[in-house]
Amino acid sequence: MNEKENSKHDYLWDGSGEPEIEIQRLESVLGRLRHDPELHPASRWPEPEGFRDRWRDWLRLPRLAPVLAAVALVIVASLLLRSPRVQPTAETAQTAWEVANLAGAPRIGASRMGRTGHLAVGELLETDSNSRANVRVGQIGEVEVEPSTRLRLVAARPTEDRLALDRGTIHTFISAPPRLFFVNTPAAVAVDLGCAYTLQVDDHGIGLLRVTFGWVEFETHGQQSLIPSGAAALTKPGFDPGTPYFEDATDAFKSALEKLDFETLSPADRNRALQTLLAEARKRDGFTLLYLLRQYRGMSESERGLIFDRLAELIPPPAGVLRERVARGDDYMIGLWWDLMGVGHPKKK
Amino acid sequence: MHSLRAWEGTAGELALSAMVEGLDFAAPVGKSRSVTALPETENPRAEASLAAAARDGDRGAFGELYSKYARVVHGILLARIPPADVDDLVHDVFLHAMRKLKALRDENAFAGWLAAIARNRATDYHRRSTELVELQEDCAQENPPRAEALAILAVIRILPEAYREPLILRLVEGLTGPEIAARTGLTPGSVRVNLHRGMQQLREKLGQQPGEKS
Repeated sequence: MNEKENSKHDYLWDGSGEPEIEIQRLESVLGRLRHDPELHPASRWPEPEGFRDRWRDWLRLPRLAPVLAAVALVIVASLLLRSPRVQPTAETAQTAWEVANLAGAPRIGASRMGRTGHLAVGELLETDSNSRANVRVGQIGEVEVEPSTRLRLVAARPTEDRLALDRGTIHTFISAPPRLFFVNTPAAVAVDLGCAYTLQVDDHGIGLLRVTFGWVEFETHGQQSLIPSGAAALTKPGFDPGTPYFEDATDAFKSALEKLDFETLSPADRNRALQTLLAEARKRDGFTLLYLLRQYRGMSESERGLIFDRLAELIPPPAGVLRERVARGDDYMIGLWWDLMGVGHPKKK
Repeated sequence: MHSLRAWEGTAGELALSAMVEGLDFAAPVGKSRSVTALPETENPRAEASLAAAARDGDRGAFGELYSKYARVVHGILLARIPPADVDDLVHDVFLHAMRKLKALRDENAFAGWLAAIARNRATDYHRRSTELVELQEDCAQENPPRAEALAILAVIRILPEAYREPLILRLVEGLTGPEIAARTGLTPGSVRVNLHRGMQQLREKLGQQPGEKS
């Protein structure tokens, strides 16, 4: 095999080429922890209700066929004889989402809901201080609605599912391609990029988005904050989205960041806030510092230089990444540094 | 302000892919790069059909998906929770997936969807438990070969999160890079980058020198 052919092989990547002895040894030792398929064979799983082949098996039993037919007849007859009641129309069945009452007496529009209900486009779901609800987001996920929350269904289309959270708290779990599910808040729009998150809005329209896993984007006026798992970001009406931060950062760090993001500070106060932020930053907060470098919120080149220096102490930049280029917001160089943070990237559509 | 989206997974991934592939490090972003073809055993279309059948209630199809993805789920969990609890949680993840499969809109996204469930269950695990069982305790009670494996696993688990998962899927579960990409929904480029960077950091932590060949 000549040198050119050999260079195409990469044992770590796909097992091709000459094995590397230390990788082979690691495979051998760590392979002892490999998944054992005999521990939980699929055949031993309990079968959830409604799984199709159970019904198939039942229907295959000839002696049960007459019984099932009789039961079906009774059910159909009883449905026909019952007094008419409000059912979702064909139109609302497509555009209304199922809502389950989890506690208390949530309201849909002006009506108190029973055990279940439907939220149509344009309708309002409200919980008081004692009630909670669960909303099924079409076929892609769920939203749990906490007490004292006011939520509207804005759109329910194959290409866009959109809620508006006027106030309160929701927890979302969405399994869908990015950019199908949106939540409007008074200050920004939360854009699902494949994730679970909690979104809170207070009576002043101030929003806090906390990502459980995956990624979420906060958008307003064309500006975005991308928030990874374990991180959070604030939004305030009239401002760009706040810079994302990891929630385990120190209170002093978070307070300084909030000042820089949302307050009009004198040069002295601004410098004080920046110095606090840099002093309190841990290695993990390098993500936030890199994000600040990436933004242009009236930050001078000298301020960005200070951020570069602190970030370089915490996470040395990759070879070739230059201070002056990063301070000017060079996407390529910041991208190289970003990869060292270990926070990954949102999934692509 | 420029959009951060502009550099999501581009510059860094491409640069390291380029280094790994022996290409020009300084080549402009966006130039074509070689894409490793999936091995013949990976057939996304067939797996999407399986996911669709499973979503419609075909238990046999779900069993096949389990056979294909159990190692991936196991590896994802092993990167995040104590090894002693991983097997039970693998089972839990598949049961949860079975119940929630109807919510999967795009069957082509099954791999990423299942991986997300596994990561979420790991997060739930930490929320519920106080993590009293730590790796050191596991090691002390284990036989020597398994203790050695747990000790190395402990080192992998202190690496950045993005590196842990691909390294464990490669070294513990025995998947190749293309298989990891196909079965987690990640791009081959980012898996390759993270495998190599993770391996480099693991070597440093274990005190090994890169480049030793048999």
